[in-house]
Amino acid sequence: MKFIKVNMTNKMIGYEEVPVAYLGLGGRGLTSIMINNEVPARCDALGPENKLIFAPGLLSGTPLVNTSRISVGAKSPLTGTIKESNAGGTIAAALGRLGITAIIVEGQAAAGELFILRIDENGEAGLVPAQEYQGMRTYALTEKLLETYGKKTSVMCIGPAGENRLKAASIQASDIDGRPCRAAGRGGLGAVMGSKGLKALVVDQRGISPDAIADPETFKEAAKAFAKAVKDHPFSGQLLPNLGTAGLVGPVNSMGAFPSYNATKGVMTGWEKISGEAMLQLINQRGGNPSHMGCAQCIVHCSNEYNDPQGKYVTSSLEYETIWSMGGMTGIDDLDTIARLDFLCDDLGLDTMSTGVAMAVAMDAGYKNFGDGPAALQMMEEIAQGSALGVILGNGPKAVGLHFNHARVPVVKGQSIAAYDPRAMQGNGVSYATSPMGADHTAGNVIGEYMAQKLDPLKAEGQVEASRNTQIAMAAVDCTGLCLLASFALTTPEGAMAFLQAMNAKFGTQLGPEAIPQSGIRVLQAEREFNKKAGFTNLDDRLPEFFYKEPLPPHNTVVVISDQEMDSTFNF
Amino acid sequence: MKVNVTLLGTLSSRYPDYLPDRGLEVEISDGAKVDDLLAHLEISATQGAVVIQDGRILHREETLTDGQRVTIFLAMYGG
Repeated sequence: MKFIKVNMTNKMIGYEEVPVAYLGLGGRGLTSIMINNEVPARCDALGPENKLIFAPGLLSGTPLVNTSRISVGAKSPLTGTIKESNAGGTIAAALGRLGITAIIVEGQAAAGELFILRIDENGEAGLVPAQEYQGMRTYALTEKLLETYGKKTSVMCIGPAGENRLKAASIQASDIDGRPCRAAGRGGLGAVMGSKGLKALVVDQRGISPDAIADPETFKEAAKAFAKAVKDHPFSGQLLPNLGTAGLVGPVNSMGAFPSYNATKGVMTGWEKISGEAMLQLINQRGGNPSHMGCAQCIVHCSNEYNDPQGKYVTSSLEYETIWSMGGMTGIDDLDTIARLDFLCDDLGLDTMSTGVAMAVAMDAGYKNFGDGPAALQMMEEIAQGSALGVILGNGPKAVGLHFNHARVPVVKGQSIAAYDPRAMQGNGVSYATSPMGADHTAGNVIGEYMAQKLDPLKAEGQVEASRNTQIAMAAVDCTGLCLLASFALTTPEGAMAFLQAMNAKFGTQLGPEAIPQSGIRVLQAEREFNKKAGFTNLDDRLPEFFYKEPLPPHNTVVVISDQEMDSTFNF
Repeated sequence: MKVNVTLLGTLSSRYPDYLPDRGLEVEISDGAKVDDLLAHLEISATQGAVVIQDGRILHREETLTDGQRVTIFLAMYGG
């Protein structure tokens, strides 16, 4: 259990055993509590006082399935709030196998300096000058790094977007095949990494010194039971392996909740052409892989490899949120264009969601027409070239709205909403408004409650409680390294019991089910405390005005959650 | 009576002739409920099937009407 501290100002690297104050923390719990403790909340997010923390989850590096999720934490330059951005791939498992609890990047390299941080198979870290990689896109960079350091290497890197400190810049993570197509997408953490002069984190996968498992036999049994629960769940066991998250396009349109044409409609005309079903057909016809394994130890296989009509690779993985932002929001009904946009975002190192919504705002402002695929590709080219408009687009939807003097900008605290319109899924609106991360769907997606008919998505009743409970649960899950898509197994008694048993067997504890919400609440409290110190108040826990004023077809509803109700979300 | 069913996700895989833009024409007894339709299609209640019409999730006990068009998929949890 060790921290690796990297000071980019003086290039010193230090190792320390995890301090008592941070024992028992991992993933988002560790990054958020540490950021709250150690980063001045009013600092410049792109300055030397911010910290960029890479933390695998509490179970990363164990044999438990679907535990290779890494949390990256910092103060966000996009929102000004605390941020945890989560990515899959192989790096969390690799760090876990080295017994590394967190890498803490501090300070700031001098202007013009650029480095790679490399961690070898013994867990030894070193900064390597990386001038030759300046401006390099992520696919070319990752290929070079794997040539240099070998195929058993995990990479997290920034593209030109992060180097140029664009606020929608992502940190890309390499998948099982060594492609930088997984992303710590949200919140502009790629810009933070760029501001520190760090181009890539390169970690050897051959570590054999994970932290000990207290009771290996019980852990093995619990892991087996949990894997069964994941496979037995219809969502993670059937739908995701076949259609991936793209399987959500049809259902969310059917519910009239798919924010389309910059959130002016709840159904996209021609959504069938960009659905998971359509995507599956194209992938199969063109020799792609609809059930690709993207991340270490994954048994869900939600990923895909999407090819062009000639059977040549275009991108991996084409997912729901990208199809929404680049398709629904822009009105582009062509999967080939959307796939190309997805690849370009990965290659430049940009959040697909913020970028698609930025383009949608530009279209809504009249810059280009909705549905104009070539125009969207041209906008990506502007970002790549670093033109004046490109910089604005790369800084996200709020920057675009300001530039075009356009009021309909679907963001909260500067971060765009996700692929569920709050007027047709009121509970998701509560999560967008109140999450410490800005508008965020993985923070608290209430859709399961609607599907189970426990709640009416169009009414206020019960939404705040549902959002609160989901946010607490997700904050807890985000500490463990468990993938969201495998976490739905926790909604079954068998899955929940097996997971708790695995946690107790790992740490030699005897925690009961109440420990899970307790840990989630602790994380959320730290995040809200940071945001308060940064100057945020309850007045920032609101959706943009148009959500309350403009009825969304086909239901023609507006957000009906009152300010008072919003403010009661965090009643702890 | 006849009900037109659009199947999403993997549900259509058991109907090799299923065409997404046509859906499935299901012949079902008058007065049948949503539950009866699911049983007819051999979609088990435990799988968490969701039946939607015009953007609204139908309750299991709701009675269907002749010519109704519904969409059915298995419950989603987000992503």
